[in-house]
Amino acid sequence: MSVKVDPNVMKDLEAFGLKDAKKCYHCGNCTAICPLSTPENQFPRKFVRYIQLGQKDKILQSPEPWLCYYCGDCSLKCPRGADPGETMMVTRRYLTSLYDWTGFARKFYTSERFEIMAISIVALLVGIGLLVFNTGKPDWQHASLNSLWPKENIELADLGMAAVLSFLLLSNVFRCFRFVMGDLAYKVPFKYYMDQAKELILHTVTQKRFNECTDRKQWLVHLLIMTGYSSVFLLVVVFLRWFQRDQEIYSIWHPVRLVGYYATFAIMYGTTYAIIGRLRKSKPPYKNSHPTDWMFLILLQLTTMTGIFIHFTRLLDWPFATYFLYVIHMMVAIPMLVLEVPFAKWAHLAYRPVVLYLLKVKAQYQQEQPAEASVAVAA
Amino acid sequence: MAKAVTQSILVVGGGMSGLSAAIEAAEAGHEVYLVEKNPYLGGRVAQLHKYFPKLCPPYCGLEINFRRLKNNPKVRIFTLAEVTSISGSEGDWDVSIKLNPRYVNEKCTGCNKCSEACTMEIDNPFNYGMDKIKAAYLPHDMAFPMRYVLDPALVKGSEAKKVKEACPYDAIDLDMQAQTVQLKMGAVVWATGWKPYDAAKLDTYGFGTYPNVITNVMMERLAAYNGPTQGKILRPSDGKAPETIAFIQCAGSRDENHLPFCSSICCLASLKQSTYIREQYPDAKITIFFIDIRATDRLEDFYRKVKEDPNIQFFKGKVAKIEQDAATSNLILRVEDTTTMSLHEIPAELVVLATGMQPNTSESPVPTSLAYDDYGFVAAMAARPGLFASGCTRTPAGVSESVQDGTAAALKAIQSLVRR
Repeated sequence: MSVKVDPNVMKDLEAFGLKDAKKCYHCGNCTAICPLSTPENQFPRKFVRYIQLGQKDKILQSPEPWLCYYCGDCSLKCPRGADPGETMMVTRRYLTSLYDWTGFARKFYTSERFEIMAISIVALLVGIGLLVFNTGKPDWQHASLNSLWPKENIELADLGMAAVLSFLLLSNVFRCFRFVMGDLAYKVPFKYYMDQAKELILHTVTQKRFNECTDRKQWLVHLLIMTGYSSVFLLVVVFLRWFQRDQEIYSIWHPVRLVGYYATFAIMYGTTYAIIGRLRKSKPPYKNSHPTDWMFLILLQLTTMTGIFIHFTRLLDWPFATYFLYVIHMMVAIPMLVLEVPFAKWAHLAYRPVVLYLLKVKAQYQQEQPAEASVAVAA
Repeated sequence: MAKAVTQSILVVGGGMSGLSAAIEAAEAGHEVYLVEKNPYLGGRVAQLHKYFPKLCPPYCGLEINFRRLKNNPKVRIFTLAEVTSISGSEGDWDVSIKLNPRYVNEKCTGCNKCSEACTMEIDNPFNYGMDKIKAAYLPHDMAFPMRYVLDPALVKGSEAKKVKEACPYDAIDLDMQAQTVQLKMGAVVWATGWKPYDAAKLDTYGFGTYPNVITNVMMERLAAYNGPTQGKILRPSDGKAPETIAFIQCAGSRDENHLPFCSSICCLASLKQSTYIREQYPDAKITIFFIDIRATDRLEDFYRKVKEDPNIQFFKGKVAKIEQDAATSNLILRVEDTTTMSLHEIPAELVVLATGMQPNTSESPVPTSLAYDDYGFVAAMAARPGLFASGCTRTPAGVSESVQDGTAAALKAIQSLVRR
């Protein structure tokens, strides 16, 4: 078996934000201190090694970056200040770009200018779109979004967007599946995938592995942002006809309203905590902030804030302010979805549970077919 | 150059390096004042079981030096003393020295009567607190000067009178007070040495919580015939002979969170200590966890010899975490084997942390202005004109380097006084 060496990996990863990996003297302290590292899947030193040796293929086939939740124990205890937690974070960005067949993710991560341009262009297109495509008969007496942008039309646009996003994300997830499963990709019978399906759902919903980290606050903050975001995503994309309402306001105990309030609180709390942490560099995961980290937090918080304002202008029945804020709201929310979900930070929402799921499938398969599995590993 | 007003030399620190400097300067004809903080001379070397390179017991080498001191009328020794200020310049230093009370005068013959009369016990500092000692005590068997000490707590307590009356030579003086002496010195040699890095700061190793996690300096005392176990290496929790022993190298060394530098002696210290264990327990299994073994020059032969021992395993990886099994007090070490990229949990009955050397100047600097390096060592032997640093005050060093360094500093001090 030959090992391919790509001498540019270190340099390449520096473009993704890698800073201190060169300082590592390979004592192995990080791997042994990590509460999530196991004999079967150990990290993070392995990746510092791969990066230093230019073993791009090994990185590409590794599931471990998605098993790390960046609690920062490794970086805190690193005797060299080599920040192995940051190396894992950068590796995740790198993998996101390698999974993405369009090449868009790579541009997004390596060029701040490109990132800002892309978001501005999409925002502008959304703004123009909303100004061009509307009924032209706004209700100036009452704040009625449906008079200008009927929910049926928005719903159609939503579903169209969801289809495109799903296609892009799922095609990248498929590539992730191919790399992680390697030779086993098509060997494992479908039955195992079915058997372990509950793991996929369990990890998607609870992210319980994150809770094994020493700093459990991070798990809570992350869970708040994730559930808040997901629930509001469902409201605006799938349940829009019950969400975008004008005349009759639901009672305060109505599920749609409750979910909306939960999502608002969860996202605002989570993003504010993260923004303050990143500004103060209060703990290792907040020490090194990549432009995409900021962009993600800022867009999410702006979306939520404009959403809150619309909620109030609608309750106050101010038509112009409502319509104006709606355009701004969409100009922030849509670029965030279109660009971040398949190409950037949001994609980890899919990669993490999928990789965990694949590991379970692989483990079950290898356990039940030891002979065959060992042949596959040897190959 | 300044004119020397006196040819006297002050040597601060009575460890290996300071002793060497004091003796060499005195034998070259200079009047020497040797100041030592402890009640005895010999420093860290006196606390070893065996020392490099010949693996002799330290009393052997120290005794020769003590004899040279004793017979030389040019040396004046202050024990339990600290230099509190230094001012002036090359050839003309004004020095104040604080002398702490020993409560025992020169009439002491070392008869042990005071200790017999005393019931109060204190942690034995010579054995790093691993056993107790009477509060009226001889610091160790071959202490020089051979004179007892009274702990201040005993002097203040109710037993003081009884202990004083037990002395047949009227050697105990309970009214002894701290005093300060002012001296004029021509040159100064600073050799206050080192202390073992505080292993309690290595919070993932459980030192201080897990009784069977000890440090390398404690291991020296366990192996020493005059140590807390009379030379039997027994684990602290239950006094059992350990069957599996782990040495953790770079415990707090080469680590930005602790001592960022390499102390250069801990590798060989652990190799040496592994031979202590092998001599006592031929079946014991030893694992040495290391990042790199730094056995340079002649010392590599020693490394090679130890490596041939089938019961001593070298494991490349820094132990990250130690956990204790509550029932047996055995320890479990979590570590990556960096040669195979595999994660292990390895049990051991006794763990020895190879902690490094923290310069005493990092906590008690020389009481005058001079330059230090990032870690608190004095930056150069010629710290200032007429003021010299030697031994572990200047750089981490073994015993033989400390002797050489002390001699070199004595020579520099003499040159600063006599050259014109």
